[in-house]
Amino acid sequence: MARMKFLCDSERCVECNACVTACKNEHEVPWGINRRRVVTLNDGQKGERSISMACMHCEDAPCMAVCPVDCFYKTDDGVVLHSKDLCIGCGYCFYACPFGAPQYPQVGNFGSRGKMDKCTFCAGGPEADNTKEEYAKYGANRLAEGKLPLCAEMCSTKALLAGDGDVIADIYKQRVARRGYGSGAWGWATAYKTGSSA
Amino acid sequence: MTNSYNDIHNSKAIMIMGGNPAEAHPVSMQHVLRGKEQNKAPLIVVDPRFTRTAAHATEYVRIRPGTDIPFMWGLLWHIFENGWEDKEYIRQRVYGMDEIRAEVKKWNPQEVERVVGVPGEQMKRVAELMAKNRPGTLIWCMGVTQHSMGTANVRALSVFQLALGNIGVEGGGANIFRGHCNVQGCTDLGLDVTTLPAYYGLTEGAWRHWSRVWDVDYAWMQSRFESKKMMETKGIPSTRWFDAVLVDKKDLEQNDNVKAMFFWGHGGNTVPRMPEMRTGMEKVELLVVVDPHPTTAAALPDRKDGTYLLPACTQLETRGSRTASNRSLQWGDQIVKPVFESKPDHWILYKLAKKLGFEKEMFKNIKIDEGDEPNVEDILREINRGTISIGYSGQSPERLKEHMKHQADFDIVSLRATKGPLKGEFYGLPWPCWGTPEMKHPGTHVLYNTHLPVKDGGGAFRARFGVERNGVSLLADGSYPKDSEIKDGHPEFTYGLLKKMGWDKELTDAERATIERIGGNNPDGVGWAIDLSCGIIRVTMAHGVQAMGNAKARAVAFGLPDPVPVHREPIYTPRRDLVEKYPAMADRRDYRLPHLGKSIQDKDFSKDFPMILTTGRLVEYEGGGEETRSNKWLAELQQSMFVEINPADASRLGIKDGQDVWVHGPENKAKARVKALVTQRVGQGVVFMPFHFSGFWQGVDQRAKYPPGADPIVLGESANGVTSYGYDPVTHMHENKATLCRVEAA
Repeated sequence: MARMKFLCDSERCVECNACVTACKNEHEVPWGINRRRVVTLNDGQKGERSISMACMHCEDAPCMAVCPVDCFYKTDDGVVLHSKDLCIGCGYCFYACPFGAPQYPQVGNFGSRGKMDKCTFCAGGPEADNTKEEYAKYGANRLAEGKLPLCAEMCSTKALLAGDGDVIADIYKQRVARRGYGSGAWGWATAYKTGSSA
Repeated sequence: MTNSYNDIHNSKAIMIMGGNPAEAHPVSMQHVLRGKEQNKAPLIVVDPRFTRTAAHATEYVRIRPGTDIPFMWGLLWHIFENGWEDKEYIRQRVYGMDEIRAEVKKWNPQEVERVVGVPGEQMKRVAELMAKNRPGTLIWCMGVTQHSMGTANVRALSVFQLALGNIGVEGGGANIFRGHCNVQGCTDLGLDVTTLPAYYGLTEGAWRHWSRVWDVDYAWMQSRFESKKMMETKGIPSTRWFDAVLVDKKDLEQNDNVKAMFFWGHGGNTVPRMPEMRTGMEKVELLVVVDPHPTTAAALPDRKDGTYLLPACTQLETRGSRTASNRSLQWGDQIVKPVFESKPDHWILYKLAKKLGFEKEMFKNIKIDEGDEPNVEDILREINRGTISIGYSGQSPERLKEHMKHQADFDIVSLRATKGPLKGEFYGLPWPCWGTPEMKHPGTHVLYNTHLPVKDGGGAFRARFGVERNGVSLLADGSYPKDSEIKDGHPEFTYGLLKKMGWDKELTDAERATIERIGGNNPDGVGWAIDLSCGIIRVTMAHGVQAMGNAKARAVAFGLPDPVPVHREPIYTPRRDLVEKYPAMADRRDYRLPHLGKSIQDKDFSKDFPMILTTGRLVEYEGGGEETRSNKWLAELQQSMFVEINPADASRLGIKDGQDVWVHGPENKAKARVKALVTQRVGQGVVFMPFHFSGFWQGVDQRAKYPPGADPIVLGESANGVTSYGYDPVTHMHENKATLCRVEAA
């Protein structure tokens, strides 16, 4: 079974936000909530670099470790998903996540955050695959249709790679070898503790 | 675009000037970055702004807006000084380079630094990078063209590539990235007011050619016009239509002011001088907007009557051929039925022709399908029949549909099909695709490429400007496309020249009959471009010869203003010390209108308007922005109109990041209230505004003026609400990359 991973090549990312737009459209993510966002460092200055960030589907996911109701689960592909039926919106996962992935659509009285929402690697949730119920809570389940996450599919410069970790590591290694330099696969050492040599 | 996006994979050096593809053409960056990575090609970005493209450059060069020519000549100064130019290429294929040399000599490193602001060391480094990493591509966009010297800028950039022998080779080229769907096709098919489709011009010969293509009587066509003279007179470009509404009639070279205006797929807020445009919109008797969105025309003028919005389909709601930046054509199917009650453009045109009473003539050879929709296959077939001059003739609907079906067989770099039934053809049959579809020309990936036979996509420069000038030959010298039987330059082919070569016997009877019918009592004078049989092309191609001739490229464009491009300060410039030495062009007339230059520049505006204002694009929005600002995902990403200002200027003016400021323009008390974005992206003394916004006017929200439900999510002040006068002398392209303004805290 393939281990699914994301990799953003900051030498390639031009901050076009196609990934963000693709994600929002595919899953009908409401205004103000971002499952994916592009972060830019040194905006407008020499050394400006952008990376597209979302849930990295960590190997040893801190969100899973801290969740008091155990709403997270991991698929055979290594994708970290959660059940919105179980989620109580406590926000622990937000504090635990090194990537700022968890989002909360409601801000109600007494700090109630509503059900946590995050990137699903386009793999839906616990409901039956590709059902209306699944779409309403988690968005599209492209993986079940044999497709990869749309953010990476729509990336204009192929900066954002998604898929079998071995395959994308190989693509990235080839790029680095050709360039003769690399700025590192940002976030890999944090997300994927083993086999993160890229 | 002489090459293609994909061909950048072959470039050893990449220079992008006056273009920000990371925002305006993000997908193209895939090819740019691959070229950079695979070939270790230096990526040089030349721009007044440190753009998101510049963030990926190996060398960023900040120039002052409006100094493109001195920058180019400054690079050539080093190239000539060091003998880095391609001398053999210039001897064989370029006319007039010595005159360029004389002008370039004036642009020594000191003068370049004084005018452009780039240090000598960097100029030398960039020149050397381009000279020593060949082939190199030179990419530009509207940062070069949208200037009062736009045409001369373009020529200077082209001359630079010619000097390095970078035109006509894979990995080289003069590559202008075109923008939205089919904009190249629009250009090719006569959007320009100076020409009928396919650059035939407006002469009697051009009209007669197209009358034959359309199968209408020339006399009838002429009767549609006020006079033969008006029929052959250039029109008024979209940049200046409101001048034709507002100027005194005696200053207008037509019998009256413009009284009706059709905005067909044009936002309005993309061209300068909107206060005057607004008056023009209010003054016309009839205002028609054909667009998927109501556009700026809905929000700008105060008018109640005589305005019509005709909802047009987007490209996804209709079908037909579209031409990409690299001259490739693609067939597009209808993806969705029209979401609203919109109609395709050709439906609207047909109905309009019917109402005006000439649909029988103009749609004679086009089948009208169910629902009164002209058949798009027939439309392309008619285009194929007439657009011989640029080889838009071989791309039949059938061939294009085959290309779409076999997309997977094409190589991503060479664009050639390497297997399957289309093996050997270039994807989308990039024009020129010579002759009729039956001749099976593969299309031309790289223009003017002598390394390939003409029949396989090779070529040479067109012999368009005669054979000699002042005793000097304009024809190529010892350079010719591979396998050409004529091993030297030659003029364009006519039936007469074909006879002289003894090749006329190879014409079929039908081809000869067509030529003789077209020629009347002078068949020898029938040129290849009006030969509807394409027989002249077929026969010359069989001899390896290009029917459009084989000439030198003109480094000196005789017949145009400033045949050798010279620097002229922008008409609104803060550099008063340079005005005397580098003055704007004297006031003149063109396009039926007065055209001012020097008389405006003579006045010093720089005291009241001390900052340089330049405009450009954002990745989130497109063109006038109505469509993209109506998209909730994009609107969320970019919610406010803003002006970029350097931290030093902001601090001097007491402006904080995110606060409201007024930007004042030098004409008509123009002003716009926008947010300040304090950033080092712009240099000191320069501010930048994106031009995609409209729906606010001088601080006032215009949302209520949109038809209910048709207002975009995000509205904002238009950058062109404060930009000023300035037009290129050849095209009347507007100037909105270098003007003046004043910024004040609101």
